[in-house]
Amino acid sequence: MSAKKAIGLLFFCLLFVSTPGNSFARDAAEKESTALNQKVQTSRLSGINLWIAETYNSERTLYAITVTIVMAALGTSLAFLTDLVLKALGLEVSRISHRE
Amino acid sequence: MDIFNIYLPIAGIEFNALLLVLIGFCVGVLGGFFGVGGGWIVTPALNIFGFQMAFAIGTDLSNIFGQTIGAVKKHQKMGNIDWKLGLISIATSIVGLEIGSEVIIALEKAGDVGMIVRWCYMLLLWGLGSYMLRDYYAMRPRESKDEDMGREQSSRNKSGNGRPRISERLHRITIPPMISFPSSGIEGVSIWIILLVFLFTGFLSGFLGVGGGFIIMPALVYLIGLPTAVAVGTSLVTVLFSGAYGCFTYALKGRVEMIAALILLVGSAIGVQIGATAVKYIRGYGIRLLFAVMILLAGCSIAIEQVYKLTDIAVYSTTAGLVIMGTAMCMVLIIIVRLVLESKRGKKLRL
Repeated sequence: MSAKKAIGLLFFCLLFVSTPGNSFARDAAEKESTALNQKVQTSRLSGINLWIAETYNSERTLYAITVTIVMAALGTSLAFLTDLVLKALGLEVSRISHRE
Repeated sequence: MDIFNIYLPIAGIEFNALLLVLIGFCVGVLGGFFGVGGGWIVTPALNIFGFQMAFAIGTDLSNIFGQTIGAVKKHQKMGNIDWKLGLISIATSIVGLEIGSEVIIALEKAGDVGMIVRWCYMLLLWGLGSYMLRDYYAMRPRESKDEDMGREQSSRNKSGNGRPRISERLHRITIPPMISFPSSGIEGVSIWIILLVFLFTGFLSGFLGVGGGFIIMPALVYLIGLPTAVAVGTSLVTVLFSGAYGCFTYALKGRVEMIAALILLVGSAIGVQIGATAVKYIRGYGIRLLFAVMILLAGCSIAIEQVYKLTDIAVYSTTAGLVIMGTAMCMVLIIIVRLVLESKRGKKLRL
């Protein structure tokens, strides 16, 4: 993807995230707003679980950013690895002709 | 199987990790193959197995975001994405989505909105599924005839330019300004048609409360006239953005179980690559046939859910979830078997 395309994509991404759109999904989440402020019990947790729970309890914005970035990073990495495995199995993909 | 049970700290429940990977894998294959997010499979599945509905939706949206990145990358490589059309679809769908959600709020004040939405959902799924099935069987004899005559490229309609009839009629409307989509082979179409189509699909997304992949994919094929593979890839662009937004906003509201989403993603990221690869080996009409069968059965699942809402007998709700999950698993099996068979056939041809 060219740099121009990537910038355009980023712009739309920001636009999408910042617009008041998708309010249906937002409303669905807000319906349970009474339960939203609940805190996770951290006494029995350790390691990564403890870190996730503490971030969830104290820094909700950081939690949201972490989830979004980690999902994107893991999705990309796994896609790359699976692509390598499929290539090794002879299922390589290239530009296809679009016939119905 | 208890050894695979893990504690999910945010949702506060124990869950089988293997089951999460399996659900993720199924929805990944379907996502890559049909260009859908698959929220209508994962959300009820997670809910049946013990997630609260808000957590099920939030976790699913995070998974959709992660898995769709890989799918978009793969479809891009195959030349299946029309970015221009995809970005227009995102911008326009937001407006339609707002209108749809406003209608829902207005209906909510008037009475039982859930019942109305489910009826519309059922009618849409059955109507769309029946139309696609009819289209498939109407074109099949023609396909076989073309193949017998040794033609590699078969026509998709009687007008001979390869577009379904409805899109052909829409393309005849030439209200300026006109816009072209070279990546999709569309030389000129009124921008108003494009905007209206995406406004409509966005409206349905907002009204039905769904991501919209299963509405956009057939709309791109039948209304705008894209080849099926390009419709699948382009539809995923919209799914990617709604997934990104959904992931962030639900996490912000504390309704994403991060560990569960990550485990789901392990299955779905693998599945989505397999599904997207299968698009290369299965012809457009094959994709549409499977899609039609899947949404017809999804309509049946909604009908059973409707019975549950009317009778309040819990077994109907579980059955509805099992129907949708069973359908998804059967579809995944068919796609993988076809992929293996077709790739073997391809190899033989090369030899």
